[in-house]
Amino acid sequence: MKQKTRINIGLLVLVVLVGSVLGIEAWRRARAERQTVGEVVLTPGSVPIYLDGQLIAGFQPTDLEQLSKVSFVDAEQGKTQEGWLLRDVLLLHLQRKRLKADSLITVSSSSRNKSARVTWAQADEAANWVMFDLSGRGTLKLVSVLEGLKTRDQWVQDVDRIEITSK
Amino acid sequence: MKPRYFSTFQLILLAQFAALIVVAKIALRLPLQLPGHSGLFWMAIVMVGAGVVPKRGAATLIGLTSAILAAFLGLGDFGALDTFLSYLAVGVATDLALWLMGSPENLAVAPLAGATGHFGKFLVKWALAGILGAPMGFVALGLLKSIVSYLVFGALGGFLGALTLAALRRAGFFAYLAERK
Repeated sequence: MKQKTRINIGLLVLVVLVGSVLGIEAWRRARAERQTVGEVVLTPGSVPIYLDGQLIAGFQPTDLEQLSKVSFVDAEQGKTQEGWLLRDVLLLHLQRKRLKADSLITVSSSSRNKSARVTWAQADEAANWVMFDLSGRGTLKLVSVLEGLKTRDQWVQDVDRIEITSK
Repeated sequence: MKPRYFSTFQLILLAQFAALIVVAKIALRLPLQLPGHSGLFWMAIVMVGAGVVPKRGAATLIGLTSAILAAFLGLGDFGALDTFLSYLAVGVATDLALWLMGSPENLAVAPLAGATGHFGKFLVKWALAGILGAPMGFVALGLLKSIVSYLVFGALGGFLGALTLAALRRAGFFAYLAERK
């Protein structure tokens, strides 16, 4: 076989692989129908936000247009973590008065069986960098520089739930 | 006695390339906020390794060794299994691409093999996320951006690798290697 043919086959394989990934992802997205709980509409991929056990909103990709991006360099590996503050995400859906300094915010990932808990006071302090970074595969990762939440082991990858306990 | 597939000298060379990948991953910080930008040096190193030891499986061995090192050093954000498999995938996919297309010294083959090898890493991360039941991509456009970024940086890395191999050949490095089997 000529090398030109081999290169063309290689290119074709790569195109087919990329097409398959995009096709499967589009199929997954189409299959996950919009979910309506009460008056809250959750689009596929969005992260539900619960306040005292009640679903109040969904953190959706369209929310990002209203949020400003922030970044910090993590001490563990010196990589830049860039994304959106948890504080800003919550304030987009909740009035500040509904959050007390000691309200507990639990961010969890069911697929990784991991969760992290911070108080509103901690999340509200911008210097703690309690924020979501967008991972390479498009899922959200909770990162921070807070003690107990500053290493990769302690971060929460593939976030799919935010729960606030104010009582 | 049947000669071994890789000589001791070649194994040492491959191990050094694997270590170089891990060191580069830790030490080199490009100020690019793009997924997969490390493919620029990663694929260059793999391509040079596959060119310096021109045998099937050389890239896989670099991938395997770097995977073990990276997993033990705790690199990556998604745990040891994800790190191990993604580093290994780079080597395996590069080897498969080179097996199909030919020498990494060819300036048309190297970028394509680099893109394929680097996309192997993306595929593993994406497939593992699906298997583990990770939520769907938060931003659909983010996935496409990731794919394009992985392919571009992989291709650039492969191209850099091919240029490096050409420079090594001009400098007489391959003649030196031929004496040291």
